[in-house]
Parts: sequence; C-alpha cells; structure tokens
Amino acid sequence: MIATEALGVTQGALTATSNNIANSNTPGYTREIPQFAENQQNQVGNEVNGGGVTLTGLQSIRDELLNVQIQNQTSLQSSANAESSSLQQIQTNFASTGNDIASALSKFSSNLTQLSASPSSSAVQQSVLTSGQNLAQAFNTTANGLTSAQTDADQQVTQTVSQINTLTTQIAQLNGQISQLTASGQPGGTIQDQRDELVQKLSGLTGVSVMQGSDGETITTANGTPLVMGNKSYSLQTTTGTDGFQHVLDFSGNDITSSIQGGQLGGAIQIRDQVIPGYLSQLNTLATQFSSAFNAAQAKGFDSNGNAGQNFFTVPASGAAAGMSVAISNPALIAISSDGTAGSNGNVANLAAALTTALPSGQTVTQGYANLVDQVGTDASNASTNSTAIGQNLLQLTNQQSSVSGVNIDEETTNLIRFQTAYEAAARVVSTIQQLNSTTINMIS
Amino acid sequence: MRVNSNMVPNVLADLQQTQSTLNTALQEVASGKSVTVPSDNPSASAQMVQNSVETANVDQYTQNVSGVLSMVQTADSSLSSVVSSLTQAISLGTEGANGTSSATNQKEIATQVQGILNSVVSEANTSYQGTYLFGGTANTQIPYTASAASASGYAYNGNNAVNSVAIGDNLNVQVNLPGSQIFSNASNDVLGSLNSLVSALQSGSSSAIQTATNAVSSALSYVSQQRVVYGNSESQLNSQETYLQQETVSLTSQSNSLTGVDMTKAATDLAQAQTANSAALAAAAIVLPTTLLNYLSPPTG
Repeated sequence: MIATEALGVTQGALTATSNNIANSNTPGYTREIPQFAENQQNQVGNEVNGGGVTLTGLQSIRDELLNVQIQNQTSLQSSANAESSSLQQIQTNFASTGNDIASALSKFSSNLTQLSASPSSSAVQQSVLTSGQNLAQAFNTTANGLTSAQTDADQQVTQTVSQINTLTTQIAQLNGQISQLTASGQPGGTIQDQRDELVQKLSGLTGVSVMQGSDGETITTANGTPLVMGNKSYSLQTTTGTDGFQHVLDFSGNDITSSIQGGQLGGAIQIRDQVIPGYLSQLNTLATQFSSAFNAAQAKGFDSNGNAGQNFFTVPASGAAAGMSVAISNPALIAISSDGTAGSNGNVANLAAALTTALPSGQTVTQGYANLVDQVGTDASNASTNSTAIGQNLLQLTNQQSSVSGVNIDEETTNLIRFQTAYEAAARVVSTIQQLNSTTINMIS
Repeated sequence: MRVNSNMVPNVLADLQQTQSTLNTALQEVASGKSVTVPSDNPSASAQMVQNSVETANVDQYTQNVSGVLSMVQTADSSLSSVVSSLTQAISLGTEGANGTSSATNQKEIATQVQGILNSVVSEANTSYQGTYLFGGTANTQIPYTASAASASGYAYNGNNAVNSVAIGDNLNVQVNLPGSQIFSNASNDVLGSLNSLVSALQSGSSSAIQTATNAVSSALSYVSQQRVVYGNSESQLNSQETYLQQETVSLTSQSNSLTGVDMTKAATDLAQAQTANSAALAAAAIVLPTTLLNYLSPPTG
C-alpha cells in the first residue's frame, strides 16, 4: 500500500525534524536530513503504477575541511590564550605598584642622594640601608612572581596531559563503534558527531593532525607522535625532568616536550620553557651585575668606623634575583667616607654612580630594568592581540560551520509544516481508499 | 546559500568587545591613568621607570640644594663676622701702635683684642645641625681647642679634606673649607696673628704692635678671598635650584603625557563606548528571540 508507506516515511521525516529541533543547541550536533527515494514502479500489462516512497536514511550534513580548519584554529587559540593569560599574570609584577623594582630603585637612588648632603646623619644612613633591603626584596618578589607563574604552567602541563589521555581513550572507543557501523553499511551519524566534538576538544589541548583511514581516524600530535590509531589509543606520560619540571613522554617513553606545539599544552610549555626563563635570566643578570657594581663602589670607601667598605649586597650564584639580599645590618657599615673620617661623604658619589653608570651589559640598572618592562609589556600586548585575532578567525569558521551543519529553527519549522501537510494528505488518501472500499462493499450488499 | 541562523556566538562576541571597550574607557576616566599594566603601553611603561627614578632624584637634589644652601650661608655669615672682627682688631692695633697710647691703654686694648680672638675662635667652631663647618671632613669633633703647645695658642683637630654634595646628575658643589685653610694657614694665620697682636700689645713695643697689626691685616684680606668659595657655591646652588624647578615641571609633564589621561578625550571615548554597548545590547534584544514560530498561530486542538 503506497499510502501506508507514505505515512511511515513522513512520520520518519517528522521524527528527524523533531530530533534536529531537540538538538539545536547540542555542541557538535550536525543537522540530519531525511533521504527520500521513490520505489520501483509496477507494470502489469499496460497499467503502470508508481511504487511509492522509501526513507533510505538520515544524512548528517558536515564539511570535513571546515572541521580540520576549526581544529587548527582551536589549537592556535588555546595556545595563545594560555600564553596571554599567563603573561597578564606575569606583567603585574612589573607594573608600577610602589613595591616594584622601579619604585625601589627610585627610593634607593634618592636616599643615596640625601646621604650625600647628610653623610653623618644616622637616620639617613638607616634609610639607605632600608631602601637597599627593599630593593633586594623587590628583586626577590619579582623573581618569585615569575617562578610561581612557571610552576602554574608546569601544573597545567600535568593536568592537560591527563585530559588528553582521557579524550584519546574516548575517541578510540568511538572510532571502534563507527568502523563497526560502516562495516555493516550504516552511516556514523551521531557517533561521528560525538567523535568530531571530542577531536575538537583535543585540538584545544594540543595541536593535532587528523587523517581518515580504513579503520577510522588516525590522530597524531603535530610532530607525528601517535595518539589514536583506529580503536587503539596511545597515552602520553609525564615525568620529572632534570630541570625539575614535568616532561612529556610519548607511549614508548621518548621525551617530546620541546616538539609539542599548539593547544593549552603547547602554550603552557612555551611559557614555562621559553618565555619565563628568558625574563628570569635577564633579571638575574641585572641583579648580579648591579650588586657587584655597588659592592665595588663600597670597596672604594670606608665605613663610619674607618674600616674599608665591605659588600653591601649578597647574590647567590644561581637564582641571583630571587636570592638577592643586603649583607650588612648596621648602617654604620655603609662606605660613605673616602678618607676614613666619619664626616666625609666622598664615597657617596661612587655609590650613586653604581646606579647611573653602565653595567657590563652596556646599560645602567634603570635602563636594564626599563628594557625588561618594555619586553614583558610588548609580549603581553602581542599575546593578547594574537588571541583576539585568532578568536575572530575562529568565530568566522564556526559561523561557516554553523551555516553548513547547524540547525536552523525556521528551516525545521517549515519542514515540520511541510511534513505535517504530507502526512495529512497521505492520511486523506488512506481514508479516501477506505471510503471507496466501503462504497464498493455496500454496492455488493 | 544557507545562512547561519545561530547568532548567539556573534552577539556574544560583539557584546564582549563593546563591554571590554567600555571597561577600558571607564577605568581611564576613573583612575586618570592610561597605563596601569605594562601591556597598556610597553614603551611608555619603560620610559616611566626612568622617569620615576629621575623624579625621585630631582626631588632629593632640590632638598639637598636647600639644605646645603642654608649650611653654606651659615658658614658664610660666620666668615662675615670674622671679617668685621678682624677689621676691628686692625683699628685697635693701629690705635695701640700710636705713640700717644699709654702702657695702661695698651693693656686695655690687649684685653679687647683677646676678646676678638675668642669670638673668632668661636666662629671657627661654628656647627650646623651637629656638624662643625670648619673641621674639614673630621667634622664631628670641635675644630679648635686651646693648646699651650701651639704657637697660636690653639690646636687644629680637623683635617684638610672637603666634602662635595650631589645637587644634580654628575653635579657636585663644594660645601666646606677646612679651618686649616682659613684660620690657621701657615702664611696667613688668623688665630696666630691675633695672638701675636695680643702679646705685642701686652709687651708695649710700638714696632711689634705695628708688625702684628700688618699680619692681621694680611690675614683679613686672605679670609675675604676665601669667602669667594662660599659665594661661588651659593650662586651655583641658586642657579641649580631654578634648573631643578624646571626639571621637576618637565618630568611631571612627561609623566602626564606618558601615562596620564586626556580627560576630554577619555570622556568622549567613554560616551562612545557606552553608546556602542547599548546599541549592541539593543541589537541582541531584537535579533535573538526571532524565529518563524513567532509568526505561526499555535496548533489548534
């Protein structure tokens, strides 16, 4: 019966529409279109009858190329976001807050100038000592701020790797289900949607490259380390490296940390292994060179007791900025005098010159610090601009994907009316045939 | 072409952008600063590091100038009273050398000159805020004390060094002259010549009095010459004070132009950001709820 078939097919189409509407806000869902096909026509003698309609299946509308582009941009954006948010945190250490190195340098410098006018005032000597201690502390705080951002990034590495492993396990499972479905000739449909959604999440965690194979998707990191092959997943591991940070190992134990790019993982590694060590090394050089210049100036003079000036600052060989401290606790040990008498201020000029003379780096301590501020600011500003630009790009791509795969309520409503009308018409056909039949039966009786 | 009907991501992106512009504009107006973190303007932040160090130094240079100026003025006024004391001693010496003076008169004059000597010694021991002005850099101990061993009757406890105080980048001003140079110089010994005059007046020898008076006279012109050092320092300090005032003004204006906010512009920006944000919100309110369903009558029965 053609009409009964039509009722069933239209009902199927209505179910598909209803499912589209139900999933209109489900992430990763691609709209499904019922596929109608007409049946073979029947020919009996000269009489030709239409064969009716069949619902051959539901087709998911997706654009694989767009999906790949979105995965790539998602990787880039997560990486840029990770860098940007880390740099936003880092740069607060360099903002003018009153406790930063610039403020401490200003105070130290102005107290030394004051010492020039009042060399024998113990209050002024004490203020030089205190502002020297504050300067050392400002170096400590800034270095600790950098180290703490580095530790945060390190923790992010461990967490992200464990998230990656969870996702790759799930993707491998779905891969297995999809290849079973395709083997039995069915479309992947919603399972494929779920897998695509997971792959996109994965690409937010690290840069991946996806290839379609006979047994489902093969997913590798950007440098070729396998993550998923068909229904098998290969988990990444982390281990503490010689630098004290977590290193990422592939399934066979090779260290792939430095080749990981993109995604949260790539961003965190970039910040932890490149950006922050760069800043720290500049800060350490500054602390070391300034301390040794100031100590050399101390050595040229005599303290208030007439003894040769001893070291003012102490810096450890490694982690200079974090470990910088003031070596003396008695203001009388500041080498103010150039001739050993208590009233001389002759060496104050040498002490002050340590701040205004170029260090071995070619810059004064103020210029050196100003350059670092400039660099941190530029990096933070670039990262944020970068993240915004990629975000715009991603928005465009997502819109494009939505225009292909997204559910349009207007369209579904129109279809609903269309299929409803068709259903009513088919029902009318059934009732008409029923009437015809009963007319015929009544004729007989 | 099929059109993307899901406007939520676009609307959200627009709202976030206008909101962020609005926040920035609001923060600028509220704080009066265009730069709060280095990324707001990296090069201005870097220049502000330099600016804050220079500003702190210029403030302190200004304080040094006023502190040193009053110290130098105190020293100069001490020397000025030494000059008038010496002038008085010379006229007393001339009076004592005059043949009409009796031995009694000469004794009286000797007592007066001794008084002048005492006041000169007291000026030489002038201190300023606990620092002896004429003791060289050994300025924590009293420069001149009575000593029978010394020819002039007074021993110098200071040294020959001078201090210079920073009043600018690479600019120092000399703030003291050691007493050994002014009061007990070997060739023009102020204290020694006064002491000799006292002895000469007590001895009553006209020629000895005349010689001693001449020595005091040459010491006087020497002290007057030395005062020039303080005069120079004073004029250097005064002109540096003017320079530092200008420097303060120019550093403040640099700081304003680097991190300050042009209020007119900031207020305009704020108003614009507000308009843009309201427009985005209004657009969202119109666009988001619209579907075909709004125009279909609900299915009946």
